Amino acid sequence: MNTAILDPKLAPPFREAVLPVLRNPMLRKNVAHATEVIQNKRARLVAEKTDWEELREAGSAIRTHVLENLGAYLLQFEERCTAAGGVVHWAGTADEARQIILDLLRQENATEAIKIKTMTSAEIQLNPYLEAAGVTVHETDLAEIILQLGKEEPSHIVVPALHINRSQVREIFSRTMGLKDLSDDPKELTGAARHYLREKFLRVPTAISGANYLIAETGAVAVVESEGNGRMCLTLPETMISVVGIEKVLPRFQDLEVMLQVLARSATGERMNPYTSLWTGVTPGDGPQRFHVVLLDNERSAILARPKERQTLKCIRCAACMNHCPVYRQTGGHAYGSCYPGPIGAILTPQLMRMHHAESLPFASSLCGACYEVCPVKIDIPAVLLDLRADVVNRERKQAKRAFDLMYIGLRIANTLFSRPWIFHATQRLGRIGLRLFTAKDGWIKWMPSIGGRWTENRDLRGLPDQTFHEWWAARAKEQK
Amino acid sequence: MNATVQSRQRILDRIRTATASVAKPAPELRDAYAALPRPYIRRGKKTVEERIELLVERLREYDAEVVETTPDGLPAAIAAQLGASGKHTFVAPAGLDPGFLVGGFDWKIDYDLTTAQIELTEGVVTAASCDIADSGTIVLHHTASEGRRVITLLPDWHLCILRRSQVVETLPEYFDRFETSPALVTWISGPSATADIEMTRIKGVHGPRFLHVILVRD
Repeated sequence: MNTAILDPKLAPPFREAVLPVLRNPMLRKNVAHATEVIQNKRARLVAEKTDWEELREAGSAIRTHVLENLGAYLLQFEERCTAAGGVVHWAGTADEARQIILDLLRQENATEAIKIKTMTSAEIQLNPYLEAAGVTVHETDLAEIILQLGKEEPSHIVVPALHINRSQVREIFSRTMGLKDLSDDPKELTGAARHYLREKFLRVPTAISGANYLIAETGAVAVVESEGNGRMCLTLPETMISVVGIEKVLPRFQDLEVMLQVLARSATGERMNPYTSLWTGVTPGDGPQRFHVVLLDNERSAILARPKERQTLKCIRCAACMNHCPVYRQTGGHAYGSCYPGPIGAILTPQLMRMHHAESLPFASSLCGACYEVCPVKIDIPAVLLDLRADVVNRERKQAKRAFDLMYIGLRIANTLFSRPWIFHATQRLGRIGLRLFTAKDGWIKWMPSIGGRWTENRDLRGLPDQTFHEWWAARAKEQK
Repeated sequence: MNATVQSRQRILDRIRTATASVAKPAPELRDAYAALPRPYIRRGKKTVEERIELLVERLREYDAEVVETTPDGLPAAIAAQLGASGKHTFVAPAGLDPGFLVGGFDWKIDYDLTTAQIELTEGVVTAASCDIADSGTIVLHHTASEGRRVITLLPDWHLCILRRSQVVETLPEYFDRFETSPALVTWISGPSATADIEMTRIKGVHGPRFLHVILVRD
C-alpha cells in the first residue's frame, strides 16, 4: 500500500516522512538491492573509461556555459525549431504549462494521450490535471506503468519503481490486466506490459514527452531511453507535445559527444542506452506532423539568479547522486516528498518551492560528498546544501518562537562564548570542575543528567583533561623562557 | 496565445536579469563557446582490424548476431540471415540497394506503407550511416536506404548492413564525420531492453527483439 505524498506543498518534513520507510524492511531491501546493482555496473564502466574525469570537466563546462548564456541559446532554439515546423510555447509556471498542454489536447480533440516517462510532467503534476479534465493518460515506460496501474508513486528519477519487487509487480499486473496465471518472472511481466501497450501505441494519436536535450544550433530535441516506448511515442502518433525545462538546452549537436558518453554510464551503468532519438521539428512522412515544445520556467530563472545555486540547473537527471547517497539508500525516494528525491532533489525541490516548502530537505544529508564525486557534470551538491541550510536557518532565527527554542538558546549562548576568549576559557575551567562530578575513575563519563543524558544514553564521553591545549602551550612557553 | 507571449517575455526578462553579470554579449558568444575545455579523447588508437574486432565484441555482448562478408558475398549473406530467421515477410526502405532484396521472401517496399501494413511484417533490412565500436552503437540517419523510423521499430527482427568504412572507434569520431546534424537520428545500442523490475535486464520490450548485423568489406 502506498501512502507517499510527492507534493512538496503537502508532504511532511523529511524527518517524519522517513519513519514509515524505516519500518518497512521490504522496501528498504528493494532499494538497497537496486542501488547496489547500479553502483557496481557504473563503477565497472567508469573505470574502463580512461578519460572519465576529462569528460566530466567538459560536461560541466558546457552546462555552465549554457546556463550563463541561457537567454541567447533559448532564442536560437526557438527560432530554429520554429523554422523546422515545430511550435514553441513558453510556460512561466506549472499551472501555465498544464493549461497550455490541455489546450493543445483540446485542439486535437484528444481524449487519450500516450506518454514517455518525463520528470518534468511529474514536477508539474500533469497526469492528475489531465485526468480531471477528462483526458486519459497512458504511461508507457515499464516502471511508470507499474506505478500508474498500482497507484504507486515514483521513488527514483531513472528507475522510478525500484522500490517494488517482482512479486509486487505480478500482483499489480494480474489484478489490473486481468491475467490470473501471470508468474513473477520479470521476462513474463515485461511481456505482459509489451502486449498491454502495443494496442495503445497503434491506436492513440497524441503523445506527451519530456526531453533530455534541446539543440540550439538546429532546433532539434533528443530523448534518451531503453525500452523503445519512447520511439513508439515519437514515431506513431500524429501529434507530439514535449514539455521541457528551460535549462535543458545545449549549444550544438556536437555537444552530445560529451553528454551521451557520461549519461548512460552514470544512469544505468551501460556504455550507451539502447535507444537515443533526435528529431528536428516536423519531418514530412516520418513521425508526428504536429509538434509542440512547451518550455517550462517554474522557478528555474530564480535559481539561475543565485550564483552559488545556479549549478543546480546543470543536472542531466542521471540519478547517480541518489544511487550513491547513504541517506537515499536507506530511505528510498518517497521520504523526500517530491518527484525529485536524493541529493539533487534535496537541492532542487526546495528551490522550485522558493524555499517556502521542503525546507527540511537540505538537512537530509550527511554531507559526505559522494554525490559530488559521481556527478557527471560536477554539481557541488554539498556546497549548495550548505548554502540552502544557511538560508533556512537565517529565516528561522528571526521567528519569534525561536526565543524559547532550547537549541536556539544553546546556540546563542555558544555564539557569545566562542566570540570572547576570556569567557570561553572561564567556561572551560568551570566545565572541568562540573564534569568531574560525573567522570568515572577510568576517565570516561557514563552518565549525565538532563540534556547531557541524550548523549550518554547511547555512548560514553571522554572526561575533560586536566589541562587545555591553550594552558599547556602557555605553560610550555613559560618553561622555555 | 496572448498569455504565452506575455510569459515568453517575462521568462526571457527574468533570465536576462539573472545572468546579467555573466552572459556574454552576442559577438563574443561564439568565441566563448569555442574556448570551452575539451580535454577528452577524440580519436581512438586502434587499427582498423582492432576496431572491427571491438565492434563485433560489443555487438555480441548485446546478443546481436554479426557476420562478415565481401561485397560479392553480400546477397548470399543476406539470404542466409533471412533464411535462418524463419521469417518470411520483410519490409525494406525504398532506397535500399535492389540487389539486397534476395529472392524467396515476401518483400514490402516502404513507398508509403501504413502502420498496419508494417505491423504485419516480421522483419526489416536496412543500411546504416555509421557505427561506433566503443559502445557498439548503430546510427541511423533515416536516409533513403535506412528508411523511415517506423520500419526499424515495429518489426521484431532487424538486419542491418554496414560497410567496414562506416565504423569509427569513438563517439567524438562520429561527430567529426557528421558535424551538421541530420534532421532525424536514432542511435541504437543493442536491442530494446529494460531493467525496471529488480534491475534484471530483459531484452525486447517494444523495439525489435532481434538484431543482426552484416559487416561488408570495402
